[in-house]
Amino acid sequence: FRVAAVWQALNHYAYLDAVFLAERLYAEVRSEEALYLLATCYYRSGKPYKAYRLLKAHSCSTPQVRFLLAKCCVELSKLAEGEQVLIGGVLNKQKSQDDIITEFGDSCTLTLTLTDRVAKGAECFQRSLTLNPFLWSPFQNLCHLGEKPDPDQVFRLSSLQNCSIALPPQSVSPAQNPSHRLDTALMETPQDTLELNRLNLESSNGKLTPDLSVSYIDSSLITPETGSLLGSTVSMASAGSLLAKQNKPKSGRSLLGGPSALSPLTPSFGILPLDPSPGDPTYLQNYTATMETQSTASNKKVQRHTSVSRISQSKSVFSQSGNSREVLPIPFNQTQSSAPHTSGSPQVLSPSMSGPPNVQPRRSSRLFTSASSTAKENSKKLKMKFPTKIPNRKTKCKTAKTSNSSNLNESLDILRLEPGLGLPDPKSQYQRAAADSVMALLRELGRGYQALCSYNCREAIHILTALPPQHYNTGWVLTHIGRAYFELAEYAQAERLFSEVRRIESYRVEGMEIYSTTLWHLQKDVALSALSKDLTDMDKNCPEAWCVAGNCFSLQREHDIAIKFFQRAIQVDPGFAYAYTLLGHEFVLTEELDRALACFRNAIRVNNRHYNAWYGLGMIYYKQEKFNLAEIHFKKALSINPQSSVLLCHIGVVQHALKKSDAALETLNRAIGIDPKNPLCKFHRASILFANDKYKAALQELEELKQIVPKESLVYFLIGKVYKKLGQTHLALMNFSWAMDLDPKGANNQIKEAIDKRYLPEDEGEDQVDDSQESSMTDADDTQLHTAESDDVL
Amino acid sequence: MATPSKTPPGADPKQLERTGTVREIGSQAVWSLSSCKPGFGVDQLRDDNLETYWQSDGSQPHLVNIQFRRRTTVKMLCIYADYKSDESYTPSKISVRVGNNFHNLQEIRQLEMVEPSGWIHISLLNQRTNEPISTFMIQIAVLANHQNGRDTHMRQIKVYTPVEESSIGKFPRCTTVDFMMYRTIR
Repeated sequence: FRVAAVWQALNHYAYLDAVFLAERLYAEVRSEEALYLLATCYYRSGKPYKAYRLLKAHSCSTPQVRFLLAKCCVELSKLAEGEQVLIGGVLNKQKSQDDIITEFGDSCTLTLTLTDRVAKGAECFQRSLTLNPFLWSPFQNLCHLGEKPDPDQVFRLSSLQNCSIALPPQSVSPAQNPSHRLDTALMETPQDTLELNRLNLESSNGKLTPDLSVSYIDSSLITPETGSLLGSTVSMASAGSLLAKQNKPKSGRSLLGGPSALSPLTPSFGILPLDPSPGDPTYLQNYTATMETQSTASNKKVQRHTSVSRISQSKSVFSQSGNSREVLPIPFNQTQSSAPHTSGSPQVLSPSMSGPPNVQPRRSSRLFTSASSTAKENSKKLKMKFPTKIPNRKTKCKTAKTSNSSNLNESLDILRLEPGLGLPDPKSQYQRAAADSVMALLRELGRGYQALCSYNCREAIHILTALPPQHYNTGWVLTHIGRAYFELAEYAQAERLFSEVRRIESYRVEGMEIYSTTLWHLQKDVALSALSKDLTDMDKNCPEAWCVAGNCFSLQREHDIAIKFFQRAIQVDPGFAYAYTLLGHEFVLTEELDRALACFRNAIRVNNRHYNAWYGLGMIYYKQEKFNLAEIHFKKALSINPQSSVLLCHIGVVQHALKKSDAALETLNRAIGIDPKNPLCKFHRASILFANDKYKAALQELEELKQIVPKESLVYFLIGKVYKKLGQTHLALMNFSWAMDLDPKGANNQIKEAIDKRYLPEDEGEDQVDDSQESSMTDADDTQLHTAESDDVL
Repeated sequence: MATPSKTPPGADPKQLERTGTVREIGSQAVWSLSSCKPGFGVDQLRDDNLETYWQSDGSQPHLVNIQFRRRTTVKMLCIYADYKSDESYTPSKISVRVGNNFHNLQEIRQLEMVEPSGWIHISLLNQRTNEPISTFMIQIAVLANHQNGRDTHMRQIKVYTPVEESSIGKFPRCTTVDFMMYRTIR
């Protein structure tokens, strides 16, 4: 009973209660399950260190316990230990290995990338992807590592996988389970069931209010690891529960497209049957009965997976029937018994329950599965624990979510079966269809994301804008397209997209740091300060908010404050590479080049493919006139991001400084070829031509530039210099005076000097005297107290 | 009898900073005073607060020494002085000296203030070349106060260096956002 109570408390997010009860339970029954349960409570209430210490103190044998321990290790940054725990588990039974490997990938990345075993990490990711193509984060991490996983390959459902994936979510159709169970399925099932469980847990409240149910549906949709399918199933489950409850089922329905559609689905998706029997204690009995029948039906083919999935289903049932507490213990106990063993036979449940109509077996099975799956779930994907918890997940989940909802609708339409507890086979077909659509979506997203990560930005934009509108108008997609524009230096477009993201999802923080840099480039200080205030008010614990604040003050030239904020961002999240990069830029602006170097190096340490940091290092070396080093670093940055015209422009200038003017010109030509709108490339090309005495070509270039950027004083300045060299003093003076006019702050001494030297072109000797006279005159002015603007006086 | 015209106040240096043409580098230097009253020392001189001030406590001339770790280009100094609140403590004659160390200082500017009421900008441009001076050390000496006061109050001093702002190439700053957008990768 206590176990049921604990699970119920967990389901209802009443972590204090859950922890309290779990502690009492553990004190009384010092079993491994109780230990696991207690650790789960700790972990879920956001205290991984408690779970960690608890689990460390006791030996863990079951894979789920070990998995939980590994999760805690990862959270606490004890990566080596986490890895060891996982590997130790791998040597265990086959099943656990499969489960672990799937999760291995995720934890592995952290461990391995940090210990530079990138190849192994990539391999683990690949494996986890093959095991469960619904996993998005391994794919994302692979992209980050610079590998280029082929989305078509990855997001592909084999028939087996189809079923296995479909099955766990359903958690009900055991018949399906057996037919599709394979080892791969096994691996996926636990995860799926885990996810499902969680979702079910969340959806358990579906009984309570429609809002809750809706939110649960959402949360269920947000299954970080698995794809939309799980989400859909879960949402279905929650919707089903809603229906069952009959308490304002509308919300659930509206989301899921109608109860009738749900009913046929529920069985397949492990949702409660359509019959709206609200919170009926007999529910469980019925469920168990149905489960019984189902289990018997599937028994023949039931493998461990099945039981797992069923357990997850029963779990959801369990959660749904939260109200009927007394009933809960029963199924829960059953699940308890089966929980630790994935191979628990479903029959365990059935005997305890009477035999009600068919509908109910689903529920009971769900109960069953959910109970066991909670165990598994914890061991597997604790990441999925809080759909709302981890922002990273959220981003992917959002796509999953949106895709889920769309898929749900599609699948609902597709799965419009008779409300009878129909055959599993048609359902599996429908599930497969649904899964296929999910896969197709994931493929597209994967292609777009991968293109972005390899900085193939035009392609990424192209792919992502081709998504259907319901996906396109989500934060994740728009953010990534905005980022693609940002990398292309098309800041206006990027800004437009990001402001759209802000309008749609004002709670989104991922990608806001890119938005803030976009605004910094565009010098929109009002928008930037508004963004900064909003984000820091909303979430003081995310590094993006502090990066935005730092950018805001940097734009206001208050570099000390900006430095403070960037340091705060680093404190909040030491793994956020961009904060280091921005901090490095600030140090460069305050001329503290040593500290800037250290910052950029830190950024590279965190993320090797952070080309901004490589660029920063190159800039510092350029300032220190170490042109060779500068060129090397710029080239490294270019190797990561080959289509950045700004980078090419810098390389061109550095090459020119190294006296490799031809190479410089060629590089600049490349830059202009990639992005003809970049005025600086043309400007530098003109200046190199000028330095090489190719005045006509330079002039032509500059004339073109004048058309593009008519208000830029530098252009006129350079034209003036060219004319001066050509001896056309009139034109030179004219251009210099234009340059002076366009430069309102008048701080450009160079222009003044150029004009000074122009005053007496014939006599160079006199120039000196006259210059000194000029400057002495101005100096006389200076001896008086004057305001800053007097600098303009000439 | 011609009353000397009062020294007009200069613009708020914060405005200057926002233009991006200068940068305050007082934080990169070591500040020391010839004398001060307890509680009215360097911190009060550098705290960005116009209410607090440095009060000297010795004989004239009162000195403020600013020593940099390395040779630094300095474009201007800004001193906040207010006759209305400081009266006889307000400095009236200030001498600015630069050099490599205490024994090597040379006066480059001397200025007289008449009832100042705000920021005084002292531009430190080289006489001949009109370039900002580059030095290890700056010494501000208060030679005389209003009404022949002995000690002096100084509320705030800021030191500015010109910002080169040349991200790439030896060119002056660009003026349009379009250019600046492409200037750097951030």
